[in-house]
Amino acid sequence: MMKFKRFKEIIGFGSLILSAVIVVLILGIMIFDIAAKGFEAISLKFLIDFPREGMTKGGIFPVIIGTIFVTIMTTLFSIPLGVSAAIYLSEYAKEGRFTRFVRAAIRNLAGIPSIVYGLFGVAIFVQGLNFGTSVLSSGLTLGLLTLPWIIATSEEALKTVPQDYREGALALGATKWQAIRSNVLPYAFPGILTSSILGLSRAAGETAPILFTGVVFYLPWLPGSVFDQFMALPYHIYILSTQHHAIDLVRPLAYGTTLVLIAIVFMLNLAAIILRYQLGRKYKK
Amino acid sequence: MDKIVMKDLSLFYGEKKIIDNINLNIPEKKITAIIGPSGCGKTSLLRCINRLNDLIPDAKIEGQLLFNEKDINTDDVDVVEIRKKIGMIFQKPNPFPKSIFENVAFGLRIEGIRDKRKISEIVEKSLRDSDLWGEVKFQLNGSALELSGGQQQRLCIARTLAIEPEVILMDEPCSALDPTSMLKIEELMKELKEQYTILLVTHNMQQASRVSDFTGFLYMGKIIEFGDTNQIFTRPKEKLTDDYISGRFA
Amino acid sequence: MKRIKEKAIYFFFFFTGILAVIILLGIFLMLLLNGLQTFKDVRFSDFFFGTVWNPSAYKESSYGILSMVVSTFMVTLGAMVIAVPLGIGTATYIAEIASERIKNFLRSVIGILAGIPSVVIGFIGIVLVGPFIAKVFNLSSGLNALNGSILLAAMSLPTIISISEEAIREVPKNYKVASYALGANRWTTLVRVTIPAAFSGIIVSIMLGIGRAIGETMTVLMVTGNAPAMPHSFFDSVRTMTATIAIEMGEVPYGTTHYYSLFAIGAVLFLISLGVNLVAELVTAKYRGAK
Repeated sequence: MMKFKRFKEIIGFGSLILSAVIVVLILGIMIFDIAAKGFEAISLKFLIDFPREGMTKGGIFPVIIGTIFVTIMTTLFSIPLGVSAAIYLSEYAKEGRFTRFVRAAIRNLAGIPSIVYGLFGVAIFVQGLNFGTSVLSSGLTLGLLTLPWIIATSEEALKTVPQDYREGALALGATKWQAIRSNVLPYAFPGILTSSILGLSRAAGETAPILFTGVVFYLPWLPGSVFDQFMALPYHIYILSTQHHAIDLVRPLAYGTTLVLIAIVFMLNLAAIILRYQLGRKYKK
Repeated sequence: MDKIVMKDLSLFYGEKKIIDNINLNIPEKKITAIIGPSGCGKTSLLRCINRLNDLIPDAKIEGQLLFNEKDINTDDVDVVEIRKKIGMIFQKPNPFPKSIFENVAFGLRIEGIRDKRKISEIVEKSLRDSDLWGEVKFQLNGSALELSGGQQQRLCIARTLAIEPEVILMDEPCSALDPTSMLKIEELMKELKEQYTILLVTHNMQQASRVSDFTGFLYMGKIIEFGDTNQIFTRPKEKLTDDYISGRFA
Repeated sequence: MKRIKEKAIYFFFFFTGILAVIILLGIFLMLLLNGLQTFKDVRFSDFFFGTVWNPSAYKESSYGILSMVVSTFMVTLGAMVIAVPLGIGTATYIAEIASERIKNFLRSVIGILAGIPSVVIGFIGIVLVGPFIAKVFNLSSGLNALNGSILLAAMSLPTIISISEEAIREVPKNYKVASYALGANRWTTLVRVTIPAAFSGIIVSIMLGIGRAIGETMTVLMVTGNAPAMPHSFFDSVRTMTATIAIEMGEVPYGTTHYYSLFAIGAVLFLISLGVNLVAELVTAKYRGAK
């Protein structure tokens, strides 16, 4: 009887460890495959050259630039708006049904499929406001997608500010806004910055919202204004691996592009973590 | 027979000595109370007996702990089986977030007992023996967390009785309860001692003198005095005991 | 003067605050208004219960979404079959057994997995998982529902693991101690006390995982084969709702019934994700209430 129980215990705990191992393996295999095959394709030329010969040779320079361009657009739109909304929720809003409703709306927005944001972008920005397929339309669409994340994480950062920071400023005669600006925001800044970078790194990897709002597979020049179309890393990977007329030939290019995208996402994540650590020490004297 | 015998028992948390060379005999089917000021090791002593201190990484026990004349402070003894024979009631009632029925049935289910009728019978008997049956018999499927504090504690007692232990360790079982519940549980203890050996830790001296047959005074990890409850409270042999009982230190 | 300035600032932040509500309503309205236009030409019952989706057919165009709805749920279900046991197992391991170092390592792994763009996961599906499936099951192509389920499982795992792990961690310690005192061993306590006590939190994690899987576009677009027919097995090529929108939005002329029907599909997706979210919130509320 005892032995059977022991046996059950060993099988049980063993299966738990197995689960964890499988999860690590999933990530490991992915990274390893992309890194191994991607490295072969990458060179300095790959990164700064334009694509040539129907995208079967050359580099991905305009693709990288396009991603940077549209991500900047996303930043301009989502960060100021998102942080402001977070300030409202954290500092000004009175708890009650309305505020709960606002928070519920944000949570629901976060769960909406990215393709639905794409539809919204087409209907409102491309068609409705007549921005056409452009960096602007895609940037705004991605901005909307990122907004709930920015609001939620910024609010969390603001919540960590101790109450006596606010009260101390108010007790000295500061107005509410002065107290926020001088005491609350600096303290929450590292957290807001970190989560913003993480949010933007997610936006950089998104494909669905930009599909019909501005991205193209091939552009002979770099986008000159926000009303131009653009190329982007995730879309490039998608086309190279599914719809290109010479799929096998361009497979190495696809690997290389994927490696570049992952590298950018990793670097942004790393930057966020490092920044949080550095700034955290500085501000929490 | 003495149900539990401690010979030179010491307990260390890392370098700190919490229990210092205790020699104590707990008689069978009687209520033995351990009294003493807070923080002097009463709870730790209790947790040695059902080997719950094993859960603390730094804890080390030296000496002999005899249960039914066999030392259970060794590596080859099956701790899980010991705990089925030595039950524990905690200071703060901690029923599981399950139904009243399932709380009491828990010990039976983990034993592998599947006979529905048998489980129901034992659950009812345990609830009767802990004086809770009348109050809950129509809501056995309700959540245990909705009971009052006193009821939850009696539920915990029923839960322990269901696995038919030989000893029940009670760690200040009434300290989180109101006076009425406390008296109910004291009555229950007196009924239970006919079948079970009860070791009660309490900082409430009046309680100890009301319910127990034997009392031990634990101070700074040492047993200062142990004997018949009446004798301890009316003619203590040690000055320290006398001081504590007369309230000269808390 | 200061008063007015403060008031203005308040109103500024107030408007940004309700922006989320405005956007949510805006999305809903946009989907609804555009989507409803479909039903000028298509009957409700044909749309929701028709199994053939062929809007650009020459003679009889049909707008039945049932096949793609079934495909979506099928791929999601398959993903959960894989992800739920793996996720709960890993979460339990992290919360209850792993040492501090392993905990941190696993949390980093999960964080990284969560951050991988969906198009990259789809790419892996094409270059690794697809050929693997084709080889093992002797198929000509590995682009099918099974592939989609595997990839969606990988994408839902971080959500399921992190939220379940939190739920398990938050189970009060005294339940465990009570269980040990009753003579249960570690495994029994885990299975009969700790996990059941964390049940609500685990359910929430699964709901959010499901929500993620249903709404995923690129991954399924790249690996499920995209045959718009009713699936009969996991080895069939399927097309989900999200993939349909993604594929056809690019080819559809503005202002046609076909154009509006894609918004109708979007509306269905929107409502499903709203529903899943609602259930998750109700369970969370009940969970907090019971505490």
